[in-house]
Amino acid sequence: MGLRPFETVVAAHHAEIYRYLARVTSRSGDADDLSQETFLRAYRAWESLNEDANVRAWLFAIATNLARNYFRSESRRRRAYAGISERRSDVDPASPEEARRFHETRTLVEAVVDGLPLKQRLAFVLRKLHDLEYDAIARSLQCSPDSARAHVFQALKKIRLGLNGHELPTMESVR
Amino acid sequence: MTTTKHPSCRAIELDLVATATGDVESRSTDLVQRHLATCEPCREEFDRYRAVDHVARGLRTAPSAEAVASSRAGLESRLADLRQRRVAYRIFPSPLGQILIGRSEHGIALVEYLGTGTSLRASRLGRVEGVEAVAGGPELERLERDLLDYIQGRRRDLDWSLDWRLASSDFARTVLEATAAIPYGAVASYAGVARRIGRPSAVRAVAQALRWNPLPIVVPCHRVIGTSGRLTGYAGNQLGLKQRLLTTEGVKLRPAQRDFSIARDAMYALGEGETQYCLPTCGDMGTRSLARVTLFASRADAESRGLTPCTDCRPDLNPLVSAA
Repeated sequence: MGLRPFETVVAAHHAEIYRYLARVTSRSGDADDLSQETFLRAYRAWESLNEDANVRAWLFAIATNLARNYFRSESRRRRAYAGISERRSDVDPASPEEARRFHETRTLVEAVVDGLPLKQRLAFVLRKLHDLEYDAIARSLQCSPDSARAHVFQALKKIRLGLNGHELPTMESVR
Repeated sequence: MTTTKHPSCRAIELDLVATATGDVESRSTDLVQRHLATCEPCREEFDRYRAVDHVARGLRTAPSAEAVASSRAGLESRLADLRQRRVAYRIFPSPLGQILIGRSEHGIALVEYLGTGTSLRASRLGRVEGVEAVAGGPELERLERDLLDYIQGRRRDLDWSLDWRLASSDFARTVLEATAAIPYGAVASYAGVARRIGRPSAVRAVAQALRWNPLPIVVPCHRVIGTSGRLTGYAGNQLGLKQRLLTTEGVKLRPAQRDFSIARDAMYALGEGETQYCLPTCGDMGTRSLARVTLFASRADAESRGLTPCTDCRPDLNPLVSAA
């Protein structure tokens, strides 16, 4: 076969796809199912994938599609909103006071992100947390790159508005 | 808020957010910087967006390593199961009608005549329980080319690794393996195959096993005929395909009452347990039961299997005129 073995794809991307789905579903149990389903689907289509395809973007597109189906059920959507919880971050604020402020801000941002319309939330997470190109985000969301860019812009605007009146951590406090 | 903003601030807003959050092309960066130099509220806005971006990137949380590892383990186990059941298939037209080939990770698992059908739904593969049929890629295209070359006589062997799991029983598999050993350009009888597998009385069972051959062409059940010399049956009721495959291999046939008969007098013969092949006229060779004789279309076919010419009838000195 011209393509590399599928095992290497799992090894390279599973953790990242899991992280993405955990973020957008807010429930690790669902991320477990959805990430497994993403790779099972990918495996089924692996042989007919073009050899020069961007595998990472392709996996994100499958995962995004599954996440969107998942959210079509309104009850799940509500559960996701309720699932906002404390999460550990790899960003270390400098002082205890800054740490508190950073924490508060992050909780606020999380709440806004989790409450965003689905396409904006997915676009935001793909761009800001996974650094996907707008072309790839567009493919994931089945929209144009300009729309993908607009979704991210709208998300940032809403987050910014959600932080109105809130004292933000100083730039020096975040690495 | 937005409504109270100056038009020039509104016009620059998208670029401002993009620049502050690191999403930008150089042309808009310059525009934004020039605007910021003169607009205090937008400078504040810019700083807030920068902070928002930093906090947002701080959301790159790592789920616990255990959760990821446990999910990965679950995935590996489901993949292993899927891999076992997966058959990549391809459907393509051939001179013998539409053909489906299916390959698992063990090898070719299925070759199927679809007649005029062109979809998986029309196939046996679509009905095998537990099989996960997926559309094949370039590898299957290569196999298609090989098979078409074979069917049209441009190549004489396929040299494919085979997955026998779709054989209906251990007995069937034994029959199929014995059939796979019948060389190109040769024919043996159902009774002959039964003798080869040590079950001389199981002639009907052999015919049944070949009737359900999951790998026609590749496991050449078309080279198995009745002891009368008639072709008797193939792929349901498609003797025409059998006739065509045998003719391509150089086997001489004659029409015989809605069937075809092997032209035994135009083929070389090999007696059971012997290593020398003969002319059909050698001794009692012409009247021996086909249960104990294998026929060859050409000397080359016989000799490619390590057989030597009979030292009595000397087929090497007196080759059949009608055979190559």
